[in-house]
Amino acid sequence: MKLFSETKHYLSVYRKFISTSVSEATSFRTSFILMIFMDIFFFLSAILTVDFIYDHVATIGSWKRPQLMFFISFMLTVDHLHMLLLSHNFWRFSDDLKSGNLDFTLLRPLSSIFIVFFRYFKPSSIPNSFISTGTLIYFGMQNGFGPTQWILLPFLVILAFILLALLEFIISCAMFWLVEGLGINFLRMQMQQLSRWPDFIYGYFTKKLLTFGVPVLLIGSGPVHFLLDINNWPYLLGMIVSCIGCFYFLIFLWNRGLNHYDSASS
Amino acid sequence: MNNLQKWVQTIKISWKRYTAYRLNFFLQIIGPSLIFFFIKYNLWSSIYSGEEGLVIKGYDFNQMITYHIWSFVVAQIAQGHTALNLSIDIRMGRISSYLIYPFNFWEFHTASFLGFQILQLGITCLSMTVFSLLGILPDFTLSGMLYGISACLYVSLFWYALQYFTGMLAFWLEETWILRVILQVITVFLSGAVIPLELFPEAVRSVLEYTPFPYLTYYPIKIFMGAPVDMLNFYGVITIWLAIFTAINSYLWKRGIRLYTAAGM
Repeated sequence: MKLFSETKHYLSVYRKFISTSVSEATSFRTSFILMIFMDIFFFLSAILTVDFIYDHVATIGSWKRPQLMFFISFMLTVDHLHMLLLSHNFWRFSDDLKSGNLDFTLLRPLSSIFIVFFRYFKPSSIPNSFISTGTLIYFGMQNGFGPTQWILLPFLVILAFILLALLEFIISCAMFWLVEGLGINFLRMQMQQLSRWPDFIYGYFTKKLLTFGVPVLLIGSGPVHFLLDINNWPYLLGMIVSCIGCFYFLIFLWNRGLNHYDSASS
Repeated sequence: MNNLQKWVQTIKISWKRYTAYRLNFFLQIIGPSLIFFFIKYNLWSSIYSGEEGLVIKGYDFNQMITYHIWSFVVAQIAQGHTALNLSIDIRMGRISSYLIYPFNFWEFHTASFLGFQILQLGITCLSMTVFSLLGILPDFTLSGMLYGISACLYVSLFWYALQYFTGMLAFWLEETWILRVILQVITVFLSGAVIPLELFPEAVRSVLEYTPFPYLTYYPIKIFMGAPVDMLNFYGVITIWLAIFTAINSYLWKRGIRLYTAAGM
């Protein structure tokens, strides 16, 4: 009962976050439209890069065009969720730490992780939802997905997004120990870059490190390997274990970071 | 002489500013290029390992890696700079100071850019030493290297003019980082930084020849690789685009400064 009422409370707060973000974003219409174009350009460049390569080769690793295009679409859908729900917050977090604005966040009677990382919603990414979902469905059909895969697909997108978010929250915690946190945002973006390609392109040690050490390769490769061949279920298990492990590590690191935090205004 | 001293001092200050937070500088400027190269190295290794003796549009594996090593060098020297500080100065009202300083706004930012470029040249030399130790640095001649670096430095002037243009728009726009990201995404894709332009469909390549994009990465790489490049055409095209954007920037400054209001003014 307590869990239900707390969830309801957090959802009501999140509704307000969305509402204020929409008001703020639509106040600057040129920026809003440019952001839509930015997402579309990014989407097209990622898809066309792979498409142009496949004009010259039949396979990359063991994957043919439809399989890798599905992987890219899957990652773009996860990236899209990330852009929509989280992306702005990481940049604000580094500013808030420097300016001491985090003090106001810590005073609120809500989880500080929730307020820091879910405060800003990016409404300009909504139009891109149709493009990324449409592309994902198109390449899913090209791979001849059956009912099981179609049912699993949305859950796996959400699971991949959760793993990506947890890993990025963990990386962002490093900002507590640095005077200038901007570079950490670039590190976070580089981790995303690594995950945007399937695990088999990397060498043995890199693959092991980025699957078991910092599991960024599980974000896309895990679910897609599983969807393309259900026998690859250990990937899915790895993702779930990684999510649980990352969640507890995040809580530990966040609390250590808060203890270390010395406000600019205090 | 007095003005030269101001330039030298501004360059020194910009060095200090860039290197004040060294980890931040590494993660922001060098890290992305290194990771980008690492991904491309792995991707092309994976592609070429699938078929022995594979040649794609004239590129065997070694030539493809050579292309991407020079692409890393070009990205460092020619496209490292951003106009982040410039747009922040406009948005935060800091340009009020430049209006009374005996050193212009453009002079200050161009001197900072020069400071950044000198730093980038040092970092590129260091990176090439690392590539050499790893045994992946391609063979090069001294003249080829000098031609390549000269081309990159000239391109960096054009890149600076483009960045300056996005920064100037801060007079009208709330956020200019979006324009910088759009410029970055389009440039990385269309300039041949991810895949050589020979791999693009013929129709796309023909259209790109009328744009400045191939001159930002593809042609400087070809110069480093010792491939035949019409230097007169290369420098001519960059000069024309540079002149166009310098004129636009000058016009934007004149219009923008009329709009400008700051606290206390």
